[in-house]
Amino acid sequence: MKWIACFCLIILSLLIGCTAEPETAVIQLSALQPVPEASVTAVKPLRVAVAAIISPQGTADSYAPLLNYLGAALDRPVQLVQRRTYAEVNELVQNGEVDLAFICTSAYVAGERDFGMQLLAAPQVQGQTVYHSVLLVPADSRAQTMADLRGKVFAFTDPISTTGRNYPISLVQQLGQSPETFFGRTFYTYSHDDAIRAVANGVADGAAVDSLVYAFAIQREPELAAQTRIIHQSPAFGMPPVVTGTDARPQLVAELQNVLLHMHEDADGRAALQQAGFEQFVLVDDADYDTVRSLELSVNNQP
Amino acid sequence: MSLLTKPPVTRKRFSGISTPFFPWLAARLWHFIGAVSVRTKILGIVLGLVLLLGIVTTLEVRAMSQRALTQRLAEQSVSVARDVAARATDLILINDLYALHQLLEETRRNNPDVRYVFVIDPDGAVLAHTFGSGFPAELLAANAAPVDAHHHTVALVTDESTVWDTAVPIFNGQAGLARVGLSAASVQATVRTLTGQMLLTTVMVSAVGIAAAVLLTWIVTRPILELKTAAEAVGQGDLQQQVRPWADDEIGDLAIAFNTMTTDLARAEQERAEREHLRAQLLEKVIAAQEEERRRIARELHDETGQALTSLMVRLQMMNQQCPLPELKPQMEDLRDGLAETLDNIHKLSMELRPSVLDDLGLQAALQRYVQDYNRRYPVQVDLLVVGLEEERLPPPVETAVYRIVQESLTNIARHAHAANGSVLVERRHGRVRVIVEDDGIGFDPQQVARNGRLGVYGMKERAELLGGTLTIETEPGQGTSVFVEVPL
Repeated sequence: MKWIACFCLIILSLLIGCTAEPETAVIQLSALQPVPEASVTAVKPLRVAVAAIISPQGTADSYAPLLNYLGAALDRPVQLVQRRTYAEVNELVQNGEVDLAFICTSAYVAGERDFGMQLLAAPQVQGQTVYHSVLLVPADSRAQTMADLRGKVFAFTDPISTTGRNYPISLVQQLGQSPETFFGRTFYTYSHDDAIRAVANGVADGAAVDSLVYAFAIQREPELAAQTRIIHQSPAFGMPPVVTGTDARPQLVAELQNVLLHMHEDADGRAALQQAGFEQFVLVDDADYDTVRSLELSVNNQP
Repeated sequence: MSLLTKPPVTRKRFSGISTPFFPWLAARLWHFIGAVSVRTKILGIVLGLVLLLGIVTTLEVRAMSQRALTQRLAEQSVSVARDVAARATDLILINDLYALHQLLEETRRNNPDVRYVFVIDPDGAVLAHTFGSGFPAELLAANAAPVDAHHHTVALVTDESTVWDTAVPIFNGQAGLARVGLSAASVQATVRTLTGQMLLTTVMVSAVGIAAAVLLTWIVTRPILELKTAAEAVGQGDLQQQVRPWADDEIGDLAIAFNTMTTDLARAEQERAEREHLRAQLLEKVIAAQEEERRRIARELHDETGQALTSLMVRLQMMNQQCPLPELKPQMEDLRDGLAETLDNIHKLSMELRPSVLDDLGLQAALQRYVQDYNRRYPVQVDLLVVGLEEERLPPPVETAVYRIVQESLTNIARHAHAANGSVLVERRHGRVRVIVEDDGIGFDPQQVARNGRLGVYGMKERAELLGGTLTIETEPGQGTSVFVEVPL
């Protein structure tokens, strides 16, 4: 008779085990209310735009120490603003929606021409304030020059990129072709590191990228160096500059310039610069971008 | 039920050390189980086992499937949330809220279990969500994940169903938090369907079980019922009953044993009947011999001794008349009186032994003579009524038997009953002779008389039964006695 009692207990415990439910408050999923608004912070942050030279996550990673350094130096919170294209960042600068912007050379040329974009400084890498466009193909590709990429898939980085679009198009134009007919297919990656990856993965048969980004990328991901091959390097262009927003107060502009130009002088600043792949910031002149300007003119004025 | 209606008894059972609860419960259970038929028992066992197995299995499978499906749902919730977080990173960083919204909507559309997806920025504001026009306010704080966490999943109880909510930090929390809720409704529906199917199966198997149990019961109980019928027939004396052993099992053995038993019983009964027949024959012969001997002695007494004494009497009479000595006359008178008394006694003895009137004139005359004589000799007044014997005499054995029974009964009344009145009725009707002898005496205890081994009553019974009749005595101390005899002709 005892085993009957045991059996009943087992059954009972099973039943109880089945019906046990977590006890929490019931959430009304159907009771919809207006979306809660973010609380407005009292302190206005320093808004810094970084053009999509590299991918958004790469940008956020690389520039985080630099932005933090700026925030600490100015005693203000810093907000990183990113956009998919160079043109969108230029709009932010033009409309004064950002205080500081790290942009591409051709974006500066366009901004300077369109609304008088102001240069603040430019990074210096390996003692130079110039960079190149490098033409990449997959490591196992037989292509030796741009001519070998006829009918292939080519990745552009951004519609107004100097190194990622204007320079390779100028190479095609020198062959007496237009990119629409020369390449089998083209697409935009909207960042240089994604263009490198597109070539490394064989998604594209060729791409032209910022030499600094390439050096930085293979330093971080050495396998990319094994998967890609440089078949051509452009003449030097002026370094992509740092510009200020149109409505930025002169005092802020002066402060920012002061911080940037001297940040390599302390350890934190050097660490932040190193994370971004820079040595230091230096003053640059608008004339440094004349080669970019002429390249853009020649590419965009072709019939 | 009795537990509820008799609480004091229950309490006593629990507290009593000498009567523990479980044996008592077992006895109660057996009381109920034992009261139902074998058919119900077998049906109950089969049905009980099937239902027990079915229900326990159903519950177990239900619990297991619920557990497994829920775990899968939770895992799916994590994978969807991780996917959304990965794909949303760039969209958030470049502030492409429309593409973000599209991503969330697509995720929800492509995954039927996803109830909602939303993304909150590092400041806790909702960037994009799939709720449409509004947002359930309580949901925002219902789950969170530290920026360095892989994910954090909780089960939320909502007004619709349980939702497995996973929070995944986007870009280490720098781009906010992705939240995905997977509804357990489809899991519940699956579990419900499964449970329903299993219960349905249980019911169907139960139906098959009932059919099997009915068949089993029929197979098992048919030989038992046959045995019962045969046993009842044997009980009523039919020893020719034989049952068919249906199978070579315990019940088959029982049937064989039963058949052996009835065969043995029949043989024993036959032997007993033969012995009884012999005994009856012997008894009949003894009685016949006894009657014959009595008749012979009675005739001897009457014819020889009576005649001799009568001639002595005549000669004494003559001697008395011719005797010259007057002084001898009184002695001779005495001698004559003694002789007359002896003659009378011899006559009576002859009558007692075997009245010749019974042989010569029949039962009615013999009884009339006997009762007449009886009334004269004993202080009991006996009435005799004889019906239906006027035209035809009864067969001699019946006449003798009835005469002897009446004689024995009346002798018993005279000796033991202390009765004032008695009556004798002899009636012939419908081919039977009925005899009733009654008195108003002190009666007796029939069992005590039987124990004392009184042969008188036993002899009466034997005489009646030898003729295929019956003899019954109704009496009680102080209530008089009635003897009923019925003898077929």
